[in-house]
Amino acid sequence: MNLVYAFAIAAQMGCGIYLLLSRHVVRVVLGILLLSAATNLLIFVSGGLINTAPPVISAGSETLGDQAANPLPQALILTAIVIGFALVAFAAALVLKTYRALGSVFTDHHNAAEAMGSPFVEESSNG
Amino acid sequence: MGFQGFEFPGVIAVALLGALVARTAAMVFGRHTGWVMSLVPVMLLAALLRRVPAVADSGVVLTSIPWVPSLGVEFSFRLDGFSLLFALLITGIGTLVVIYAGAYFSQKPRDQIGRFLGLIFLFMAAMLGTVLADDLIVMFVFWELTSLTSFMLIGFNSGSAGARKAALQSLLVTGGGGLVLFAGILLIGINLGTFSVTEILARSDELAASSWSGPIVILIMIGAFTKSAQVPFHFWLPNAMEAPTPASAYLHSATMVKLGVFLLARFDQVFAELPAFGTTLVVVGSLTMLVAAFQALRAEGFKAVLAQSTVASLGILVMLIGLNGEIAAVATVGFIVAHAFYKAALFFCAGTAIHATGQTSLRKLGGLSRFLPVTAVAAVLASLSMAGLPPFVGFISKEYLFEAQLTSDWNVVPVVVAVMVNAVMVGVAGVVSIRPFYFGSKRVTEVHHGETPGLLAGPLILASAGILIGLFPDALARTLIGPAASQLYGEPIDVSFALWHGLTPMLALSVLVVTIGVLIAIFWDKIHGGLRHRKLLAEAFGDGGYRWVLGAILGFARRSTRVLQNGDQHRYTAVVVSAVIMGLAIGMLSGATGVSLVPTGGPLRWPLVIVLALSVFGALATITSRSLIASLVSVGVTGFAVAVVFMLNGAPDLALTQFAVETLLVVLLTAILLRLPARRRHSRTSSERQGDALLAFGFAGVMFVAIASMTAAPIDLRLSEYFGQTSYLEAHGRNVVNVILVDYRAIDTLGEIAVVVFATLAVWALLRGAAPARTKG
Repeated sequence: MNLVYAFAIAAQMGCGIYLLLSRHVVRVVLGILLLSAATNLLIFVSGGLINTAPPVISAGSETLGDQAANPLPQALILTAIVIGFALVAFAAALVLKTYRALGSVFTDHHNAAEAMGSPFVEESSNG
Repeated sequence: MGFQGFEFPGVIAVALLGALVARTAAMVFGRHTGWVMSLVPVMLLAALLRRVPAVADSGVVLTSIPWVPSLGVEFSFRLDGFSLLFALLITGIGTLVVIYAGAYFSQKPRDQIGRFLGLIFLFMAAMLGTVLADDLIVMFVFWELTSLTSFMLIGFNSGSAGARKAALQSLLVTGGGGLVLFAGILLIGINLGTFSVTEILARSDELAASSWSGPIVILIMIGAFTKSAQVPFHFWLPNAMEAPTPASAYLHSATMVKLGVFLLARFDQVFAELPAFGTTLVVVGSLTMLVAAFQALRAEGFKAVLAQSTVASLGILVMLIGLNGEIAAVATVGFIVAHAFYKAALFFCAGTAIHATGQTSLRKLGGLSRFLPVTAVAAVLASLSMAGLPPFVGFISKEYLFEAQLTSDWNVVPVVVAVMVNAVMVGVAGVVSIRPFYFGSKRVTEVHHGETPGLLAGPLILASAGILIGLFPDALARTLIGPAASQLYGEPIDVSFALWHGLTPMLALSVLVVTIGVLIAIFWDKIHGGLRHRKLLAEAFGDGGYRWVLGAILGFARRSTRVLQNGDQHRYTAVVVSAVIMGLAIGMLSGATGVSLVPTGGPLRWPLVIVLALSVFGALATITSRSLIASLVSVGVTGFAVAVVFMLNGAPDLALTQFAVETLLVVLLTAILLRLPARRRHSRTSSERQGDALLAFGFAGVMFVAIASMTAAPIDLRLSEYFGQTSYLEAHGRNVVNVILVDYRAIDTLGEIAVVVFATLAVWALLRGAAPARTKG
């Protein structure tokens, strides 16, 4: 089973990387989305997935039963999902602002700084 | 040891204090700052002089304060004859330099005097630390501090491009050499388990016998050669003459450049048994002497000539350390003293002449004795010592130099080199003292600044000391030269540092040297003019190699910047991804657990396999879809599939959150997509897409192996078990995941909330006020 998980996560991450390399800013954001979903899954898998009962202490007991799933990765992922959401929401707002300010969604048009030339031109001409 | 333990750190601290108050003092005392501030080095000189009898009697005074005990690094100090001699030179000449600098800068703004004196005092502290430190790590820290202050002083006139370039050059050469030295020090520490010079000297046999002795010797020699401007690192010192003259006199003739010699002398006893050590020193020293003598004949500037002769003198010192025998030890120490006296005096005179006329070239200076009569006399006295004429101390030290060479087991070659180079020194001495001051009176008709007491104190005191020591060498021989030479030799030497040795072969050589030297001085113009036309030799002996290396490094940096930082975000991401892939792959392959592709984690659960396949399908659809909306929906498919995976593995909270977040994101991104142009084009060329696909495959492949290996390894469940055991009993919550979030890791959750709040604020800041879009693509 672990190899199936490994394959699925790796495939999602590969697709995320491919999108991240795009020059279209929306596709970059989609790449971030895919990568963060796959990373959450990776954390989940790293906790071991043998037991499938929710990690809740049953009414009569004082400690977590043997059949319960590992609670630690779940807690980490809950945090990660929310932060990932905040990140993507911010990136999406940035995309919109970039488009409004620069009139393009392609990063090769976002070159106002490069158009100003190298800040080291003077230095390099001196040797 | 009580209060006594703090004596040497105290000496250094007082010098540092001088650096701190120099600026304030300059603001208060203005033109008189030099005189006032010279009290600091005078006090230090007195404190050190008090130690002379103790060192002459017992040899070594050690004190120690722990600094980094865990690393075995101690603030330990060692005062022996050799370090005492250096410390006295540093404070003694330092006093004169401070006085001279105050007068030299008297017409300049007060903050400039303050800044200059501050640096001089900082340098003084660094020098004292270097020569007094017993711990090699402490010594190295101070050693590098001298390089830094030298950099600041050479670049003091920061408005001049030449000064900045020379400062950088000296920093790169001496700082780089310092790092090499540091490597050597660390090797010594690893081999002997100590950084203490005292202990290293005691266990020198052990170090010489170790298999690392070769690398250690080479590293330490390179460090010393860079600092003392030996071939092939000789080029930085003449360029360092961009520094204000008081700094040149102090750093680049009398003290700092002799640190390399100091270091070699320190380790002379340790490495004396290695045959290559002495040979290398004699060869490098002789080459340096020849190159510098040649360059001295070619040099035009007043200070440049002096600088080249300083390089030659440093070559003589290195060669002397390479020679064995007690005469060589005495000759080394004697020459260090003689050279510090006459060369600092000559630099002072050069500074006064340049300051008065604004001319730096020897050719344009002349007849200055009319305007600067006392300086002219001092210059002549100092140069007589430099020429090695009796009754000056320079004569005695030269006699010893020849005696050391004749008594060593070397053949005649070093003697010939020494005769030639010393003859050039005589010529230089004649040219720098007589020409600018007594000849060519038409060249200079007026001067901007005359002599002031501050400008005269240094050269006069040093030049007269040159005669006094020459006439009465006994006192100095017993108190300073003897202990220093004994330290250098390793055994007590009975020094007879006398003016008259009788009719010896050395005297004959001296007569020969002076005769040739006088001829060189007379025919200076012809030789000088002839050599200036030999451009090829000039390039071979100049800093061409340095410039080539520096140019190559900068060129490489420029080319790699053009490749790596070409302004295209696609390139940046690709570089980062490639680096991550490589890092992961290297980490995995070299890791302790290794790579494994064993199927574990129980039998296949088909519902899960189907859901995972769906998630992969969603991801693939995202990248293949031509429409952004379709891509967004496909990402949503992957997100929901992941949520289902959470659900099927006992994580309902996660599934719920993931569903909610995924829905929100799809809505949010759709809203944004509606505001963006729908037209879609390939943003990458097909070859770029192929390359990116390769990178994506590479990343996926590495991740696959990493995850498979990770899941095959055993899991440490202690933390999870702890939470399961204590969740209800201590935190009174049955949902363990929730308890972890709001109780055990409450601060993390607070941080998470803060992230969301900041993201909200940032989004609000970005999107408030709807700016109209400029359409371009």
